[in-house]
Amino acid sequence: MKLTGSSASLPIGNNPRQKSIWTTISQQKYLIAMCLPFVIWVIIFAYVPLWGWTMAFQDYKPGIPFSQQKWVGLKYFIELFQDPYFYLVLRNTIVMSLLGLAFGFTLPIVLAILLNEIKNDLFKRTVQTVSYLPHFVSWVVVASLVTEMLSGSGTVNNVLIALGIIDKPIQFMAQPKYFWWIVTGSDVWKEIGWNSIIFLAAISSINPELYEAATVDGAGRFTKIWHITLPGIMPTVMVILVMSIGNLINIGFEKQMLLRNPLVKEYADVIDLYILDFGINGARYALGTAAGMFKSVISVILLFMANTFSKKVADVRVI
Amino acid sequence: MKRSAGDIAFDAVNYTLMILLAMVTLYPFLHVLAVSLNDSIDTVRGGLTIFPRKFTLANYKEIFASPNIGWATFISVMRTVIGTITGIIATSMVAYVISRQDFFARRFVSGLFVITMYVSGGMIPGYMLMRSLHLINSFWVYIFPGLISAFNVIVLRSYIDGLPLDIQESAKIDGANDFIIYARIVMPLCTPVIATLCLFIAVGQWNSWFDTYLYNGFNEKLTTLQYELQKMLVNAQAQITSTEDIYGMAQAQKLQRISPDSLRMAMTIVATLPILVVYPFVQKYFMQGLILGAVKS
Amino acid sequence: MKRKIALLMVLAMMLMALAGCGGNESSTSSTEKPSGTSTPTEEDKAKEPITFTMYSADVNPNADNFQSPVAQKIKELTGVTLDINYEAGSNPRQTLSLMAASGDYPDLVFAKGDVDVLKDAGGILQLDDLIDKYGPNIKALFGDYLPRLKWSLDDPHIYYVGSYPVYQETLTPNGLFWLQHAVVKEEGYPKINTLADYEKAIKDYYHKYPTINGQPTIPFTLLADGWRFLISVTNPAWAATGGSDDGEWYVNPDTYQAVRHVTREEEKEYFKWLNHMYNEGLLDPESFTQKYDQYKAKIASGRVLAMPDAQWEINDAEVALRQAGMEDRMHGVYPVMISSDVKCRVNQSPGYTGGWGISISTKCKDPQRAIEFLDWMCTEQAQVLTHWGIEGVHWKYDENGKRVFLPEIDQQRRTDTSFAKKTGIGNYTYPFPEWGNGKKDSTGNYVQPDSEVTDIVKNYTDTEKEILAGYGATTWMDLFPKPSEFPIKPWGAVWMYHISDTDITAIDSKITNDIGPRLIPKAILAPEDQFDKAWDTYLNEMDKAGLPKVTDAINKVLQEKLQLWGVTK
Repeated sequence: MKLTGSSASLPIGNNPRQKSIWTTISQQKYLIAMCLPFVIWVIIFAYVPLWGWTMAFQDYKPGIPFSQQKWVGLKYFIELFQDPYFYLVLRNTIVMSLLGLAFGFTLPIVLAILLNEIKNDLFKRTVQTVSYLPHFVSWVVVASLVTEMLSGSGTVNNVLIALGIIDKPIQFMAQPKYFWWIVTGSDVWKEIGWNSIIFLAAISSINPELYEAATVDGAGRFTKIWHITLPGIMPTVMVILVMSIGNLINIGFEKQMLLRNPLVKEYADVIDLYILDFGINGARYALGTAAGMFKSVISVILLFMANTFSKKVADVRVI
Repeated sequence: MKRSAGDIAFDAVNYTLMILLAMVTLYPFLHVLAVSLNDSIDTVRGGLTIFPRKFTLANYKEIFASPNIGWATFISVMRTVIGTITGIIATSMVAYVISRQDFFARRFVSGLFVITMYVSGGMIPGYMLMRSLHLINSFWVYIFPGLISAFNVIVLRSYIDGLPLDIQESAKIDGANDFIIYARIVMPLCTPVIATLCLFIAVGQWNSWFDTYLYNGFNEKLTTLQYELQKMLVNAQAQITSTEDIYGMAQAQKLQRISPDSLRMAMTIVATLPILVVYPFVQKYFMQGLILGAVKS
Repeated sequence: MKRKIALLMVLAMMLMALAGCGGNESSTSSTEKPSGTSTPTEEDKAKEPITFTMYSADVNPNADNFQSPVAQKIKELTGVTLDINYEAGSNPRQTLSLMAASGDYPDLVFAKGDVDVLKDAGGILQLDDLIDKYGPNIKALFGDYLPRLKWSLDDPHIYYVGSYPVYQETLTPNGLFWLQHAVVKEEGYPKINTLADYEKAIKDYYHKYPTINGQPTIPFTLLADGWRFLISVTNPAWAATGGSDDGEWYVNPDTYQAVRHVTREEEKEYFKWLNHMYNEGLLDPESFTQKYDQYKAKIASGRVLAMPDAQWEINDAEVALRQAGMEDRMHGVYPVMISSDVKCRVNQSPGYTGGWGISISTKCKDPQRAIEFLDWMCTEQAQVLTHWGIEGVHWKYDENGKRVFLPEIDQQRRTDTSFAKKTGIGNYTYPFPEWGNGKKDSTGNYVQPDSEVTDIVKNYTDTEKEILAGYGATTWMDLFPKPSEFPIKPWGAVWMYHISDTDITAIDSKITNDIGPRLIPKAILAPEDQFDKAWDTYLNEMDKAGLPKVTDAINKVLQEKLQLWGVTK
């Protein structure tokens, strides 16, 4: 599948380093033409605004010319790293991200595989369509539903009491130790259908002849899934996994903000919420920018680590 | 074809699981629909599941009574269509180029794009950039800044990596240039992922309102559907947080207004219904197997 | 394929057209010269059409694009057209920051509490001279309160023309303790003046009726959803201990020293009472986990006997009860105090607080005209127009010379949610200068509707009237000490104060939004003998986070204000 530059006679796999730079450019002029405008685009729209990182070192006030802003050096970074609450928040972020990866990443793959096994086309398409509907319901509504269902008089307690598992309602939302699971569960509920779409697309590229051949060889369902379906989508799975690991620290804040309450705050607050509470809303752009820079650095490090790991283990790389 | 006992058991469990999943994921949406069709004051009492208790179309009337809603929908459709077409072309070109092992700047370009997913300069630099590019108060601010998502590029590239290389090679031998190979050979083979990415881009365009808020917030000619809905929601949430009578919101508002909760539900339905309608057409591209008959070289 | 390309080209051309009409909004103005006049007189000059662009940090569901009858009348009388852009999101500070960063200011800006962003950026004008020369009505309206508009001791200039009514008399009490009508009816209208009375009424009724309409009764509940924590959990503490609304602070009326109100010994007693209610089983266990809509649903089901909260926060639920015909399950407000020797001061007036107002930007095309317009807004003519509408069209004088709405208008304003949009009445009052309901005009009428007691009573339910009769009162205010029983607070209201040092505001933010919501519930939900320890932990956390610094900063601002306003030297 992947040529590592061995067959010298095939132009596409050829190693270009042995030619002069001009020959290379002329040979690859179409490729360059196809991507150059967009490279320029990305530099303008994604890299030029990074001058904003200087705000992390200033007491930034909008409207005052750049040269007149007050420089404070590493003050905000120091403040960030000296705040014990910051580390608590970091812990929460990492734990919820890891849980999110463990369940929110793997379960859509499982769903895609299971859906693929459904033979009835109408049933398959209906279930798939229904499954992504929660994606379009905003977190505000979902959080409200979850809180309601887990409340003292809510569905979950009613079912548990009816089944005799407990005799008094449990206040799930009041228990810090449940919070991480509630967030993960809500997220899976909301996104499993939508996140499975990309994997369904990957599965549909697998050559059906492989399955037929396997059936002839007497393979059962699980064997086919294990030996055909999974390897077939492995490249897609790996690149999404690597990019998700890069995003480990960028968990966002909406669901935590909506699901949290004063009793579980110490387990619910995440970095982006911290920034919101103490940065933006306090008009302290510098703090927000400093925290943002910190996140970017961590993300890029994680990305490269995951990328190297993926290259070694599955011969798939993002960069 | 004979089916073993294991096969049948697997199917039985699978079908049951899928039915359970469908019920669980359908519930929130039915609930939203029910509340949207329920009288706003009655909704405050809570307790609604999937059926309205006091049926009314008032929440929807409130939405469609907004004078800008027709034009806003038009703009939303425009940005979705144009944004998706331009976006998928840009994304696929970049994805193809970096899928080529022989491309001299492959790793540099990949890295350049991927890192953008994790870095940002913040809102103020972004705004200043748009301003200097004259994208404020312009339709094109909906198209250019969000043109390419690095995630989409990488996913498409990994899909292209999974295609057999001989197709590209035989085309090259036949004298096709890189662009032709990209457009005529590779892209048609990527239909499932292209369809999926088109879906992602289109939904992203359809749902976005924050850019409207930031860059075209006071320009009625460039408003989008989601932004109009969002404004309605914020307006409904404007409570009187003092005993003063602000903006004449006293009497009638206190007694009669459509509460934000009801409005939000109706908004969700209005915004999502078009997606549901269009979706089956896209779905068929990634739910069916791909026949790679042309692989034999 | 060709057809598709053609279609795309058509689309593209339509878009070019769209893009073309993009740039014309919100930054143009027209000063049309009247035709045929050679030398315009002063009056003509004043009536020359001009459009002012304006940004308002508040949302306005009833924005009417200056098309309403009242708006058109304003244009007719002054020549001014207002092109107002209202905030459409929930973060005006963001919008203002972008405005400052880009320098794209409208002519007028109502920035509320974020006006410092514009001032720091040098985007707004000093108005002292303009007011002096062109603002006689402004000076007349604000009178002795004019110094309250000054910025600070370091910069004692005026940067905005104040919003909010200058002479306002509250006709509805600012009480925070609510008790269901059915409870007081059942108990025979007992005195509800202390926490002990409150608790007894709740407890007695709860034991008699453990269920209501088949569902468990909830004796007492709180709301802690996000920022509402401050309204329902902590604000009642100052209300019950002789304070009035100064945000998170309490100012000693004799020494003019401010302290964080929760640190007062008296308020500890209030929270101890909450803890006691919890341990007695009277406090809803979901108080700290429920969301706002669940809270409202509980109240609207009729099972909640009592809650501490602001009227506007429970209004939706009360309306739902009213609509469902459950009038006796609605709630009345009572002057509950920690003990009978503490007087209820919730209605003490801050006077004119002077913190917010309309600024004129440095990009304003005609600042003199702008001040003249704002000045005109202070006149009797403008006040009646913006509050009542047009004579003969919306209101008239009745046989006693009293100003009343025409019957169909009165009906409309009570039932039509877009009343303000259609008529313009109420749309151009706030945030422009207002007289308030404390001052009568030259005809002996109030410039604001609903200024009389009789207007308030008209809205009461029959049950409310019954309850009030049981207490020998006609309005809820009758149960409370009235505003006139207290001096006007010389320091205004602390919640309007502005601290410019963001390091201090960060600490304040942390204490308000993080430490409080985390540690106060722990104290309330602790076993009775653990309360004191938990409460001390809370106080210590605040001190560790830097509360003394914030206290000093606030007191500094407080002293400055007193000096600026001429109260102290």
